[in-house]
Amino acid sequence: MSSVGPALEVRSLTKRYDGVTAVNDLSFEVHEGEIFGLLGPNGSGKTTTIRTIMDIFRPDSGEVSVLGEPPGRSRARIGYMPEERGLYDNLKVMEVLVYLARLKGLSGSVARRRSGDLLERFDLADRATDKVNSLSGGLRQKLQFVVCLVHDPDLLILDEPFNALDPINVALFGEIIRELQSAGKTVILSSHQLNLVEALCDRIVLINHGEAVLYGPLTEIKRRHSPDAVRVVTPDHLDEELPGVGRVEERNGGYVVTLEDGAGPQDLLRGLVGRGVSVEAFEVVSLPLEEIFVSVVRGGGDG
Amino acid sequence: MGKVWVVARHEYATNVRRTGFLIFTFGVPLIGLALLVVTSLFSGQVGGFVEGQFAGGEEDLKVGVVDESGQFTPLMPDYRGRFELFADRESGREALRGGSVDRLLVIPGDYLESGRVRVVSANGESSGTVDIGLESAGIYDFLVDHLLRYRADAELRDRVADPFRPVEVSLDGEAGDGFAAGFFSYILGILLVMTIFISAGYLLQGVSKEKTSRIVEIIISSITPRQLLIGKIVGFGALGLTQVLIWFGSFFVLGLASTVALSISGDTPLTAILGRPEVFLLALVYYVLGFLVYAVIIGSVGALGTSMQESQQLSGVFSIIAAVPIFFAGIVLSNPDATLVRFFSYVPLTAPTMMLLRVPQGGVPILDIVISIAGLLVTAAAVLWAGNRVFRLGLLMYGQRPSLKQVLQTLRRG
Repeated sequence: MSSVGPALEVRSLTKRYDGVTAVNDLSFEVHEGEIFGLLGPNGSGKTTTIRTIMDIFRPDSGEVSVLGEPPGRSRARIGYMPEERGLYDNLKVMEVLVYLARLKGLSGSVARRRSGDLLERFDLADRATDKVNSLSGGLRQKLQFVVCLVHDPDLLILDEPFNALDPINVALFGEIIRELQSAGKTVILSSHQLNLVEALCDRIVLINHGEAVLYGPLTEIKRRHSPDAVRVVTPDHLDEELPGVGRVEERNGGYVVTLEDGAGPQDLLRGLVGRGVSVEAFEVVSLPLEEIFVSVVRGGGDG
Repeated sequence: MGKVWVVARHEYATNVRRTGFLIFTFGVPLIGLALLVVTSLFSGQVGGFVEGQFAGGEEDLKVGVVDESGQFTPLMPDYRGRFELFADRESGREALRGGSVDRLLVIPGDYLESGRVRVVSANGESSGTVDIGLESAGIYDFLVDHLLRYRADAELRDRVADPFRPVEVSLDGEAGDGFAAGFFSYILGILLVMTIFISAGYLLQGVSKEKTSRIVEIIISSITPRQLLIGKIVGFGALGLTQVLIWFGSFFVLGLASTVALSISGDTPLTAILGRPEVFLLALVYYVLGFLVYAVIIGSVGALGTSMQESQQLSGVFSIIAAVPIFFAGIVLSNPDATLVRFFSYVPLTAPTMMLLRVPQGGVPILDIVISIAGLLVTAAAVLWAGNRVFRLGLLMYGQRPSLKQVLQTLRRG
């Protein structure tokens, strides 16, 4: 079942509408089995990229390869949850699921069985015979997720899955996305809510005005953009006398120690231990992705 | 092909239960049935049917007879039960007052010369024939029967009582093709045309809804726009066909029922058409081809709109073109070979409508049938080719309607 090469490959993708460049020379790869974040503010070109991947748009230039094939070839192996969500309002939940699953090539009986299982997993089983328009916004979003999972796809593309979702369902969606990953699926999460997705993603591409500004494994990006500071919690007093320390601030019952250029956290820890300081907590300060994004955009590109 | 089938089945199953569809599908045969009953009631051809069906009440009048002419007295035993003889007016009036008879028929001595009789009812007296219940009381038949008693056989007496039943035939028309038959065919043609547009309208609504709700993104992530369009056309075509077949079926049943009910061996407007199966066959051919051409045009052009209203406006132009022949229906009825009629039969966009109006009338030249069908086949292929591209463009367009230039570009790129 597994294809050769990455699950998704986007090379120099460019797409314009009426003279406006929505996506400009965008390149990235998604590896098989990872959770990949396609991130960026609203209007940055995420949805356009996804629609090109889904063969809804044709690119002006550049190439896209999905599961080793051009867009539109492996429809049955992709689950897609569009940003703009609509379902057949006048049909029953089960009817919608079975129809959309059959469009993906499932037989009627398999479609019904899978739909039933997933409705159970999403706590929607008692609504199977209700009409779609009787569901609340949150339930409809769950149903959308079920639609995109019903045919057991290898690659999931979720466009803004957490939009308008309450915290409980955000947690549920996150849990299920992790389950999918452990089942060997590849998941692409597109979102502008960086704080909600950063905990989930293995690798990300962060785009702004249609261009990639950050790309790579999330931990590496965070490390690269960490402010060279360490948070230390200790009952003892800390001051700038420590080796390699530039500045010490007291904050929230601890200290934020900014290191001098060339000094690493290990040097500081060794110094602290050497002086007999009792360390209750020691962690390298990392910025939330959002702050990294803001600083990178202000600073004009990936430093 | 499998997915086309899934779409077709889905569209058929979800639309066949629409209230509007059910009302229209079963309303037409019901109206037909009502018309049949009404026409038989007023046609004077009711005979024993109505009497059998509606016996009782006023129809079962008892008539007292005072025969001052002496012509009828000897025959009274034949009418025992409904007609009762009284010796003079006084005893007759007494019976009327007492309620043992409902009418008193007084036949004066000069009846044969003057034809005058008096019909006395409890609340008035009439010497004319306008009194309520006269006909149903059987007085007319009673008198005719007696007058001809010894001069004619039973058949002639029946004929005198009911001298003629007109069946109009035009000079060049086929047997039974009277105006009534023409009108009936005309209604049939209009109904078929309406079905095409109702089904195509459902298709348009569906496309527009899928587009505005953006569910189309999910669908297009599963199947190609071409599969979607063809699936919809097959599904809604089958829907319309179901309607037509139900109508044809009820048409046959009504036709049979009217023949039986009216005990007529000759032609009625219904039986005239029933006797020509080729009409139904041709109607089906034009129905299918017409639906194909219009549905593809309406579906794909409608897909260009950003809202239901815009979609309807865009495709409305084509519906109007297709409806043009209906405006000339009068000519089709009175002069089926007019140049105008033949012209509209050759133009593919008006051909289905025109031919559906012409075919039930009969006498359509083979040449016209061949040209129109050939034209429709070519048009259907062309429309499918272009419609598929326009459909894709329209479906996936966001926010704004594509300009004519974009549409033409899409077609050229092919």
